[in-house]
Amino acid sequence: MESNKELSSQFISYYSKFTNKKLSLLSFERVFGGASRETFRILVKDETGSEEKLILRRTQESSLIETSQSTEYLAYSAYQGTSVPVPAMIDINEDEGTLGAPFMLMQQLDGAAASPFTPDAYSPHEEELGEQFWSILGEIAKKDINDDFIDQFDNATEDPCWKMELDKWVEVIKEDSISIEPILDAGIRKLYENPPKDPKKKSLVHGDYRNGNFLFKENKITGILDWEMAHIGDPLEDLGWALSPIWSWQDRDKPAYLLDRQASLSIWEGSSGLTIDKNDLKWWELFACVKGMAIWISAGNEFKTGKNVDPINLFSPWIPGDIHLEIILDILEEDLNET
Amino acid sequence: MKPEINIALMNAAQEILTRFSPLIEDEYEQSRLNSWGALILISAMKLNQSYSSLVKENNSIINWLTNTKQIYSKELLKEIDLIQVEEGLEQSVLDEQNQLLRAILVKAHKEVDSSDDIEVKRDCLKLLREMHSHRKVSDLIGLLQQADS
Repeated sequence: MESNKELSSQFISYYSKFTNKKLSLLSFERVFGGASRETFRILVKDETGSEEKLILRRTQESSLIETSQSTEYLAYSAYQGTSVPVPAMIDINEDEGTLGAPFMLMQQLDGAAASPFTPDAYSPHEEELGEQFWSILGEIAKKDINDDFIDQFDNATEDPCWKMELDKWVEVIKEDSISIEPILDAGIRKLYENPPKDPKKKSLVHGDYRNGNFLFKENKITGILDWEMAHIGDPLEDLGWALSPIWSWQDRDKPAYLLDRQASLSIWEGSSGLTIDKNDLKWWELFACVKGMAIWISAGNEFKTGKNVDPINLFSPWIPGDIHLEIILDILEEDLNET
Repeated sequence: MKPEINIALMNAAQEILTRFSPLIEDEYEQSRLNSWGALILISAMKLNQSYSSLVKENNSIINWLTNTKQIYSKELLKEIDLIQVEEGLEQSVLDEQNQLLRAILVKAHKEVDSSDDIEVKRDCLKLLREMHSHRKVSDLIGLLQQADS
């Protein structure tokens, strides 16, 4: 593995050539977190003294979630200049020779991201940020997608949306599991036995829309990040994921530590123009736990096999893994009590 | 008496978080070291319980399978009858036994789910929750936040 110094020198050489400018590097820092790509915050200056803030996302040799870089680029590109705030894309490069691995370069947006496990991260702006958070998710769901656009994603099949996603994540669990989890098994059975309806309108699904994956500055959301799991599917998938109690574990009545559930759903319905089917949403909320478990299990496997001993790969199966199992149990018990 | 392993780990975590981490200027490396400090702290808190939790979990599964024997298929009963209760096992052996028991429990739960007996279904979920409570570390999430700040 090369040092940051080596990589930063490769970067400035590449970017000077790319922009046809004589640039100097003011800072080059790796950002902690984010398991699928290495992320670097960069500041460069040109001959006139003008500074530019950039974000470099480089594919990891061993990443938590195997995702296509072009999918992420495509998703970011789809929302350029819309009410969904995303960074301007500068370049995508699949060539390993330039910076040692495929990478994407984008402009850095203002604002900061908070940990999804910090209850008061958005205080005192929960209401304003909550309004924007659920409304932007509705906008993502509302976007018109045509066949040409869908064809650019590599997941178009004849299967219903729910089956395509569930099969995919169950496969990850089968491949990467290092122990038997009866709770998870029961959750998966429940999902296959009671599938939801296929959506009337398919959408571009962000795939990891939650608190922690957006930038904010005081009371304004300045960017929606981490689109690497984007795909075409059921818009309720993103809603189920964002509502999951794991993202507001210490205040479960306030999804994403922003607004109460009912207010959140109303904003989403208003913004997306879609009506929520409660049973279908319930299915997607249980699915969110199974998908989460697949990700945490995959991380645990990376750690245990020594492929990637980043502490995030130990933290993931320990804490989020535990929490998602508990949520599956809550859902199964609630279901049983309703029968 | 020598200091216990968990006390050693707790002190190591504390030194990482309060003494060494503040010396690191690189934000990424500092965050990574803080995470290790917090994870060592969790390990220290749970180390003493890991053996007894495994014993309790295995016993709970065996008791439950034995008490609900009347509802299972012949094939599953054969597997349940093969379960042997042994005491004083090493942790690695207990772990292997745990995986076998969990595999049988998954099959049992499937059969329970296909029955109409709500009470047994409820009891099965209770067992799963009890098992989870023996193992979980998510109750230490507050500790992680303290370590991080």
